[in-house]
Amino acid sequence: MFKLLKNLIKEPMFVIGSVLFLTTIFAGLLGPFFYTAAPEGMSYETPSSQYWLGTDNLGQDYVALLLKGLQNSLYVGFMAGIIATTVGTLIGLFGGFKGGIVDDILNMFTNLFIVIPSFVVLVLVSASWPEGRSLTLIAVLIGLTTWPWTARSVRAQAASLRGRDHISLARINGATNLEIIFKHILPYLASYVFMVFIMQVASGILSESAISMIGLGPIGEGSTSLGVILNTAKNNSAITYGYWWGIFPAAIVITVIVFALYLLNNSMEGVFNPRLRK
Amino acid sequence: MKFSKLTACGAFALFFAFLVSCEEKEAKTAEAKTSGYPRSETLYLAGSQWGEPNTFNPLVEPWLVAWPANDRFNLMYEPLTAYNSLTGSTEPILGTLVSYDAEKVVVDIQHEAKWSDGMPVTSKDVKFIYELGKRFPQAPTSYVGEFVSEIKVDTINDGVERLSFMVNKKERDNPLVILDQLQAIRIVPSHVFEKYLEENNGDFSAVKKIKCDERPIVSGPYTLAQYNNERIVLVRRDDYWGNKVLHDGALPVPKYIIHPIFKNNDAFAINLQKGDLDASMNYIPRVNEKKKDAVNTWYDAPPYFVPGSMHFLFLNNTKAPLNDKKFRRAMAAAIDYDAISRLALSNYAPKMKPGLIMPEGLEKKFYNEEEVSKHSVPLGDKEYAKKLLAEAGYKAGFDDKGNLKYSLGPKGDTLPTLLIKAPAGWSDWEAIVNLVVKHLRSVGIDVREGFVDGSQYWPALPAGEFDIIMRKPPVAVTASLPWNRFNAVMSARNWVAVGEGSMNENEGRYKNKRADELLDKIPLLLENEEALKSAYIELNNIFLDDQPVIPVCHLPEEYYQFSEKRWTGWPTDKNPFAPPQLPWVGSGINTLWRLKQVK
Repeated sequence: MFKLLKNLIKEPMFVIGSVLFLTTIFAGLLGPFFYTAAPEGMSYETPSSQYWLGTDNLGQDYVALLLKGLQNSLYVGFMAGIIATTVGTLIGLFGGFKGGIVDDILNMFTNLFIVIPSFVVLVLVSASWPEGRSLTLIAVLIGLTTWPWTARSVRAQAASLRGRDHISLARINGATNLEIIFKHILPYLASYVFMVFIMQVASGILSESAISMIGLGPIGEGSTSLGVILNTAKNNSAITYGYWWGIFPAAIVITVIVFALYLLNNSMEGVFNPRLRK
Repeated sequence: MKFSKLTACGAFALFFAFLVSCEEKEAKTAEAKTSGYPRSETLYLAGSQWGEPNTFNPLVEPWLVAWPANDRFNLMYEPLTAYNSLTGSTEPILGTLVSYDAEKVVVDIQHEAKWSDGMPVTSKDVKFIYELGKRFPQAPTSYVGEFVSEIKVDTINDGVERLSFMVNKKERDNPLVILDQLQAIRIVPSHVFEKYLEENNGDFSAVKKIKCDERPIVSGPYTLAQYNNERIVLVRRDDYWGNKVLHDGALPVPKYIIHPIFKNNDAFAINLQKGDLDASMNYIPRVNEKKKDAVNTWYDAPPYFVPGSMHFLFLNNTKAPLNDKKFRRAMAAAIDYDAISRLALSNYAPKMKPGLIMPEGLEKKFYNEEEVSKHSVPLGDKEYAKKLLAEAGYKAGFDDKGNLKYSLGPKGDTLPTLLIKAPAGWSDWEAIVNLVVKHLRSVGIDVREGFVDGSQYWPALPAGEFDIIMRKPPVAVTASLPWNRFNAVMSARNWVAVGEGSMNENEGRYKNKRADELLDKIPLLLENEEALKSAYIELNNIFLDDQPVIPVCHLPEEYYQFSEKRWTGWPTDKNPFAPPQLPWVGSGINTLWRLKQVK
């Protein structure tokens, strides 16, 4: 473990990705507690010493909104990532390990979800939920529509492990299927699953931004997210009227998070994958 | 080789067919032209046409007809009179208002008025459109019969025809609405449409299919020249009868009027700033910031526009807790109307005053400050709202951040979350709803935003399928204000329960017998100013006591904003020769004779 971490730290991509991602995490988690929002101003006030990033259409301090939005987007991303990774990994593991009819059924189920465009499902379900669309609900919806790719790739990995000697040995020693899956297969795939999780978090953040951008994101007190900020700016024609601070800071933050996660994923692959290892 | 020649010929034929199909539709008028239009002679107006023009037939339902053959536009087809929303006077167009009382409205037809084919405009034309509903119940003017029992025609001096619109005493008994209709119903050439009916064996639906886009016979100062899915072009009629009769022989200044068809609101702001659009009626936020680009409004300072309409939160008066007037009054008190004007409406709304009568302009004479303060809740007073709720037995709990946690009714029952429906993407309304939600939740009223697609919003209104809904009733600034505003939010004449039918007024299903009596009485008090004033005060007091809906802001009927890059001479508060309207409706059309080209 220590050796792995040592190898990772040697990767510049990992260092840059970690610094960027940890910065956003700290800003999102601690920012709202340390930064006091400036009092309500006029609509779209330009950045100033009072409002560092100006105000939105309702005169709210954009820095405060951005910190709260970052916190909420990270919450949705992690929540969606955990759900999608858990569901996808479980289905992939069982399908890949069991094979036969169980694998066929789970595979058919996975393929079914792959061919249904997940974003369309997300839009339809969100639209039919006009009230109480909380951050958690959005995260669950995203998680439940983005697991199939995880399932497919984990299944392939699990299937390749099925015939390995140590699995046969465990079977001979009377280990149950669950024991084999969780004690002898999952640890082999841990690094792979972790990388998948990272990409699912990034995908969750992007999906939330997209669904919020079209006005189907979370609603309610304190549920501002980066996507909701972009949606408000879009609805108020911020670009047309030159209110760049309504669009760019939120767009940049989303880009930085996703870029950081991509760097982390890539650098980990370079270390964890024996074929790519230098 | 033969094959390739054949293929080439086929391809050419297909290409030719494609070109022909793409050709711009050109109305066969004498002035029609296919080339570009000189900018110095062309006025660009926009805001009424959003999609591809379908038809220019004025007998088709207005929402299906393309500009300017729809709604109240009087560039091609003209009404009898025009209402000046600035002075309250009724100005002549095809007719001159002679008198009105509780029995009849009398109008003289302009003797010189002519159609573009040279035929005179006569009482036959007026009777054709006003009485079309008697022949064809599906005609767009079929409702007129409820108000007008008969149109009597007399010939007075020099052959001038005098029309007496007799008030239908047995049905609506409402001369006010007849006054409104004089400017709303455009007269169409009966000799043209009777011929169409004859050719189609009296089949009205077949006549409605005629597009009326080739050599339309019109009486107005402009006629259709061209149209496609990007613009509608009108060309001036230099032989327009009204130039001599109404404008001392002068011609309207722009030779062409073009309505570009934009797909979104941003296009209006961009084109106005660039000077590619001369006037627009769409909501553009922070219009004062565009002044540097020669974009101007009626007033130089806030509220920039002349208020004429009210935007409301319609409340479902049949659903708990909205059926409790104490709860509704608390809602009205809790909202910070100044914040709405400042943050959601770019300061376009003047200081909010309670009630359904505007304290400025032509309605001012009916506004009684003393009575209003006696009956109204104080606006924007959260403590008062909390007190009202507590007195009525409502309770609420908040978390340590001040967020609403629960809301209980007088019996201790948890109140449902009330949704405020509004069309998604209407940025000004969305901002209003966001603020209202914030204000109401801060006093313990559990409401949430319910932004929905238009396909869910519009059917929900008449069906009453809402808790709270943002609404601007289709009340134009006409002679019948403020009666028509009270009628739109309080009339129980066509009351039906939610789920049992549609209502096109008072969609919140409010019921008050005395209010209905007053709504019936006011139109008959036209000649008795004192009685009229006291009836309005009583009706406004009932409104304030019951608060069936919540007015959230007073806004202009039309966002009249113009660019002075190409044309000057627009009416403003400093030069109020015409009301703050685009030069296409009411007496706003007079602007066309006063514009000046920028050299």
